[in-house]
Amino acid sequence: MIDPHESTARTAQTTDEPANGTMPPPIRRITLDSQPTVALPPSQDAVAIANTGDRSLAAAGRPARGVAGPERMTISGLSVYYGDNHAVKNVSLPIRQGEVLALIGPSGCGKTTLLRTLNRLTELTGSARREGLITLDGTDIDSLEVTEHRRRVSMVFQQPNPFPMSVFDNVAYALREQGSKRPKKKVLEPYVVDALQRAGLYDEVASNLDHPALRLSGGQQQRLCIARALAARPEGLLMDEPCSALDPKSTNVIEELIVELRKELAIVIVTHNLQQAYRVGDHVAFMYLGDLVEYGPTDDLFDNPKAARTRDYIGGAFG
Amino acid sequence: MLNRLKEPWTDRRAGLLLGALACSVLAVIVFMLVFIAIKAWPSFANNGLSWFSSKGVVDQQLDAMVNSGANPSPAEYELGAWPLIYATLLTTFFATFFGLIFSLLSAIFIVEFAPERIRRVIVPVVRLLAAVPSVIYGLIGILVLAPFIGNSVITAEQKSSVQFVIPLSGTGLGVAIAVLTVMITPIMIAITVDGLHAIPRAWKEGALALGVNRWRAMWSVTVRAARPAIIAGAVLATARALGEAIMISMVAGSKGFSPNPLDGFVFFFEPVRTMAATVVENAESINAPAMQSSLYAMALVLLVGAFFLSLGSWIAKQPLKKYGTRS
Repeated sequence: MIDPHESTARTAQTTDEPANGTMPPPIRRITLDSQPTVALPPSQDAVAIANTGDRSLAAAGRPARGVAGPERMTISGLSVYYGDNHAVKNVSLPIRQGEVLALIGPSGCGKTTLLRTLNRLTELTGSARREGLITLDGTDIDSLEVTEHRRRVSMVFQQPNPFPMSVFDNVAYALREQGSKRPKKKVLEPYVVDALQRAGLYDEVASNLDHPALRLSGGQQQRLCIARALAARPEGLLMDEPCSALDPKSTNVIEELIVELRKELAIVIVTHNLQQAYRVGDHVAFMYLGDLVEYGPTDDLFDNPKAARTRDYIGGAFG
Repeated sequence: MLNRLKEPWTDRRAGLLLGALACSVLAVIVFMLVFIAIKAWPSFANNGLSWFSSKGVVDQQLDAMVNSGANPSPAEYELGAWPLIYATLLTTFFATFFGLIFSLLSAIFIVEFAPERIRRVIVPVVRLLAAVPSVIYGLIGILVLAPFIGNSVITAEQKSSVQFVIPLSGTGLGVAIAVLTVMITPIMIAITVDGLHAIPRAWKEGALALGVNRWRAMWSVTVRAARPAIIAGAVLATARALGEAIMISMVAGSKGFSPNPLDGFVFFFEPVRTMAATVVENAESINAPAMQSSLYAMALVLLVGAFFLSLGSWIAKQPLKKYGTRS
């Protein structure tokens, strides 16, 4: 069946095009005599930065550091076991509002486990066991209802995982499923629009709110997932390598978004990308084999790493 | 020539062979349909649309056919098959309806809530149950369930309330629905479990991470996304219920009778006979041309019914694809 609104929208779009008979404008103009744009391999850049300690290049493109706000979450003496595997060993970290905490470290070092523990997702794994204390605004998170805790500290995953529903329904999901009554679409609309605007996606999807979310591009899908998390008005946002499945441009958009969001949220981001940690992180924690090796302000950690393992890792000696 | 055969198979050759196999299956089905339609024609031609109506007593009509000669008169073709169609619809609908509820809830339990140890036992057992021959269910139905209902559930008042219409003995619509439901539920559970397992974990985790509890996340994300698989399972089970003959013939009372919903709960105790059961029970009198044609007519109705069932499931799945992964 053809939706009447959709068909009018389509005609409105087509009227912009030139009248019949003339060719439509090309999608991309090919200029022959312009200078070719050559992208420098980023790895060399990173190595150079790491080796010389000269970060002027990266620092230039970096947003200003955030202002540390109140401490929202505290991790003290946290250990996580999967069966006999001691995945996170006695880690203590503060998570403050107004700042981004970046967790870095080689694969399998426990940083994702740590992040999932903060959302209490590790509890879904039968073999997982946790020791130590995590507090949210001074309250032990174990004393909170798990759904309430997850609503207050939301999570964005490595792979964009929008639900197979429309864009609107995706963002409205948390709002709809929280109460016992399902609110009307009219009531939800301002919240959905607000969340999409905060995630910087609204302008791109404003006219397509009823389109399938899975047809958005990868970067849009990830921002939709962020909007979905923001719609529930969380106090903390955990991001598990949110850009690893995305192209550089989408990565850039999401990094700007993270910097924007840190004013109102406590953000923890796990990343494999050291430059990303340097760009968006206000504090960086380096983990290795489940240990928290070093924690400090980003500039200190990158310029003057105290531990030898940190120095080797950011120098590219292993990873 | 010999050398050519030694070479590895080309894709073209493999494609042709597989295509020929697929086409031959299709050809057999089409041939069957045409053959049955031709054989069924005398029954439809002599009755017209009243074949589908309820005229006369269907069991008497069938008995008359057995004794009709090699050249039956049009009157001997007379058949009003509505009670048989009605019985087929009733048993299939109720069995699918209850089966859908049981299988969905059991599948959700197995996938989401069952501890690993229980799951490891329950899934193979369910698959095994899906393969149990239906005659075993029929045996249990007629030896255990029907006597129990006949002796302990149906009251004397209920028996006397309909005694001038139909005697109640225990076998009937209710037992048929119950046994049929038990028979088709395992296959529905198996398909639904597979469908729910196929939903990406990331969707469920995404829902949980937003602070939705497991029960709500299950319904609003996993079951929602698995609807095509649930429909597929239901259709497979419905087709099995539609064509079930031996078991129904054992437990449904085997009377060409239309149960009356106005009788209240007695409705479920009244005996019925489905089309498939009728075909099986009259197979020995198949040499009487009138009977043969009537049975072929019922077979054709079942075949067309199964076709529309597939068509219906295809139509039902279309709107669900809109938000799915396939773009």
